[in-house]
Parts: sequence; structure tokens; C-alpha cells
Amino acid sequence: MSERVEVQIQLALNGFTLDVAWTAGDGVSVLFGPSGSGKTLTLQCLAGLVRPEAGRIVVDGRVLFDSAAGIHVPPQERRLGYVFQGYALFPHLTVRANVAFGLRRRPLAERDQRTAEVIERLGLVGLEGRYPRELSGGQRQRVALGRALAIEPALVLLDEPLSALDLPLRRALRDELQAILADWRMPAVLVTHDFSEAYQLGDRVVIYEAGRVRQAAPRGDLLWRPASESVARILGVRNLLRGTVMEVCPTHLRVAWRGQELEVRTPPDRLPPPSAGSAVTFFVRPEDLRLIRKDGPPPDRAHHTNILSGRVVRETDRGVTWTLMVRLEAAGEPAQGSFDLEIDVPRFVYEMLRIERERSWQFSIHRGSLHILPD
Amino acid sequence: MSPENVSALILSLRVATVATLLNAAVGIPLAYLLARRTFRARWLVDLLVTLPLVLPPTVTGYYLIVLLGRRGWLGAPLYGLTGWSVAFTWYAAVIAAAVMALPLLVRTTRAAIESVDRDLERAAFTLGHSEWRTAIEVTLPLARNGILAGLVLAFARALGEFGATLMLAGNIPGRTTTVPLAIYTAVQTGESSEALVLVAALTVISCVVIFLAGRLGTKTT
Repeated sequence: MSERVEVQIQLALNGFTLDVAWTAGDGVSVLFGPSGSGKTLTLQCLAGLVRPEAGRIVVDGRVLFDSAAGIHVPPQERRLGYVFQGYALFPHLTVRANVAFGLRRRPLAERDQRTAEVIERLGLVGLEGRYPRELSGGQRQRVALGRALAIEPALVLLDEPLSALDLPLRRALRDELQAILADWRMPAVLVTHDFSEAYQLGDRVVIYEAGRVRQAAPRGDLLWRPASESVARILGVRNLLRGTVMEVCPTHLRVAWRGQELEVRTPPDRLPPPSAGSAVTFFVRPEDLRLIRKDGPPPDRAHHTNILSGRVVRETDRGVTWTLMVRLEAAGEPAQGSFDLEIDVPRFVYEMLRIERERSWQFSIHRGSLHILPD
Repeated sequence: MSPENVSALILSLRVATVATLLNAAVGIPLAYLLARRTFRARWLVDLLVTLPLVLPPTVTGYYLIVLLGRRGWLGAPLYGLTGWSVAFTWYAAVIAAAVMALPLLVRTTRAAIESVDRDLERAAFTLGHSEWRTAIEVTLPLARNGILAGLVLAFARALGEFGATLMLAGNIPGRTTTVPLAIYTAVQTGESSEALVLVAALTVISCVVIFLAGRLGTKTT
């Protein structure tokens, strides 16, 4: 598949260095990472608002920037739709004038027709004469999108479009944004520091940290196959652990961790597999740890691998779930400060098993739930 | 009101109006450049524009004579070419008033432009508008209240100008005697009732100006 967007940027600005390269195809590409990692700056370079020192930017086969060839197309001629953080609607202009703002050079009849079309398609009919301050958050988002889409851009750039909103509205507008982008079949580059947003909206996610790209992958890969420990940290992966490979078997590895021996499925995408004696970093999601009921039959070894026992030393009520901080019975330093593992249990399980009083538990980790990170 | 006072008042209003129009033409673009562009001589421009606010008006007036007087850097060539000098004409009063009022307009306008969200300008750029069109359609309309407040303040300052006007334009009754000069003359010659009328007139105008500027300053678009 030919790539729609090709970005390669080098830029030093006020002590910050941006040095990134990535490509994107159709659909939505998300630039994800902590604030100050260079995501917005990348978007501004794409739009031509900031000029990189070196690199090359190509959109749909059109070279917008090429330092070697001395090309720098001004933002006015790039035809990229930019949706700004906080939307940047013109407060002194009506909805209609905002949407029509980028159509100045078109003949009047065409301009009116296009404006009406966009207003209709985004469900803004009846609001044409209103000013931005008279609109709800959702309507503002649609006007901002309409203004950017009206110019029939080759690509839409969205800078933290949802970050200024309250949580309930943010959820709703996220769904709406997704629907609009899909409906217009508009390739987009979206910047966010919210992973759930990145995951829902992005077909492909580019992870930024400190002005560098740490990983660029289809969104599904990120959840289960972070490219490195630093990516896992950016993604907020919990229970990030370090162990040593003891034995390599055909289907699994035996890993020593905290005085325990864990059976771990051999990572499918890692060739050759880690050799015996090597150190590995791995993680297990807190919801993948399974408590073993005390009133049931003893655990079936075929069903439960990696049976451990520990005590709940701390817990957090997260509403629908409880997070238990568990310290293993085994002697030695806990792996994560005062505890070894975090376990998430649904609220009804917490209440049913009376975890409030019952603090000692056995639990198991399926060998497929232990994910080894690449070096 | 004596005919002299009436002519002083008319002259003052005319001088202040023309000076304010002149300032609008020079000061607004200047304020835009100072707010939105970085160029090497920016500090110098900023300094020159602000200086009349800080210097004693007679010192500013002295510099204006050095520049525009019959033997001045610009005045001498002009006199040699046309036999005419701006000094001691009502144009001189306009120039003196404009130079003295410019800092107020530029500073107020600059602050108003700087307070316009740059993302609005960037949005206009990505929508195909040049910097010029963006300034006309986005930046200046949004800075409108600040600019109007600056113009009102500049008008008031121009109306009350004394020192620099006296230096460059002199105090020629009917030609360059503006209200502040007329007040001074009246007090010097012991005609305090004549002075009182003009003092009252300027006070009323100033109060109106403060009221207008206050309203413009607080109103938001």
C-alpha cells in the first residue's frame, strides 16, 4: 500500500529537539505521548506553521517540505484542515462565516453551496447565524470540523480535539468525531495524550516521547506488544516486572521471578527466543490475575498455571473495580516497592469473596497472560 | 466665550483629530509589527515610539525642531526646495501632538493585538488567508476595543499637548494657539475668567474621554 503521509522532521527549538520519522496510510493516525513530547510541533510542521530545520514532508504524493530541495510550501497553499486545541473558532464570525472562511477564493455561488452542504452534513442547520459563544461544546466541535473539511483538505490534522472537555461530554464527542471522520472517509492525524482516546480513534498509533518516535504500530499491537519497556511505561502498563530465563522449552520459557518459577509462553514475534540465563522484562495486566476461591475444589493444574500466594497489603476503590496490592508470601524484597503485583477485581467479586476481611489469597496467572517485552 | 477662545477650541479639536488619524495610520501597523513580528531593529522602534512618553515634552519638542525646523535635518532640504517650513504652522501642532500621543496608541493597540489567540491567526493561515488578510479579518477586528480605547486616549493626549507644540509650532493666536496654550497665555496676562472657560471645556472633554475609554476597555466582543 502506498503511504499517504510521509513525515521526517528535524528541528531544535528553545532547547527542545524534535527528530521524528513516520508514515501513515488511510484512516486515522494518532500521535500519542506525554505532553511536551513534540506531537503538536509535528502537526504545526505538517501544516507549515513551523518550518523544520531538515527533513521531508509528503502528503498524497505532494511534497510540502523538503530541506534538501529547498521546498517549503506556505500553510496557505497546503490545503490541510487543521482543528485546533480549543477549536479556535473565530469569535466575531457566525457559524456560516466560520465554515465559509477557507472558501474565499471560490466563486460566490460555489462558496455558498459548499458552505450549505457542509452545514447540512454536520447537522448544523438552524445554527448558521449563531456565534461560537452561543454554541454547545458538541456544536463547536462540528463547526471546527466543518471549517476544516469545507476546503476539501488532503488530510485533517486534529490537535487534542477533546482535551478541554469534561469527561461525559468527552466520551460523547469522541464517538461523534469518530463517526464524522469515518463518514467523510477523511484521512487524519490526531494528537492526544489520552490512551483510551488514541486506542479508540486510531487505526495506527505513533508513540512519542521526548521528541522521538518510540513505536509506530497498528493500535492492537500496542496493547499486547509494546516495542520496549519505555513504550510500556508511556502506555501506563502496570505490573512491569523483571526476571531471568531459566529454561527454554519448545512452547514456553521458565522464568525466575521473586523466588518463584513462572511458566511463560514463548513470545511469537521474538526470534530467536531469549536464551537461558538472560534477563527479561515482562508484564501481566492486573485484570488477568485470577483469584482462587477458597470454598471450591483445589485448583486444577491443567486450568491454573503459575499458582502464587500472597497477602493484600493495600487496596484502592476505583468504583466499578477494586485494585488490590498484593505481596507474595515468599521472603525477599517486593518487586514494586511495598507490593509485588496489582490485581484488579470487579466490585461484585470483591464483595462476594469478602476481600475486605479475607486478606490472604492464592491466585494464578495463565502463561499466555505473561508478556515478554523485546529488549 | 471670546472669539479667540472659540478659535483656540476649534483649532485644538482640528489638530487633535488630524493627529489621531495620522496616528491611526502609523500607529496601528507599527503596533502590529511590534506585537507579531520579530526583526532586528524591534528594540529600537520600541524605544523611539516609547520615548516621548518618558521625556519632558520640551525635550521632544527640541528634537522635533532639530529634525523639522527651518535648519533641521529634514526641514532644511524641504525649505531649500520649496521655501516653506512646517515650523510655526498648524501642521507643526499636528506633528507635535501626534508624536506625543503615539506611544499611548501603540502601547494600547500592541497589548490588544498580543491578547488575540495566535491559534486564530494560524487557523486563518491554514484556511488560505495571507498574513495581511488575516490581520484585516481576524486580528484587528478582535483587537478592536483595545484599538479604539488607544485612539481615544491618543486623542485626549493630543488635545492637551502643550510643551512640544510650543517648541515646534509656537504660540501664534489664531494659527497655532491651541487650548492649553491659550489657557497659559490667559493666566499669564491675568485674564483668569477667560482661562476658566477653557479649563472647564477641556475638563468636560477629558471626562467624556475617560468614560468612553473605560467602556471600550471593559466591553468584550
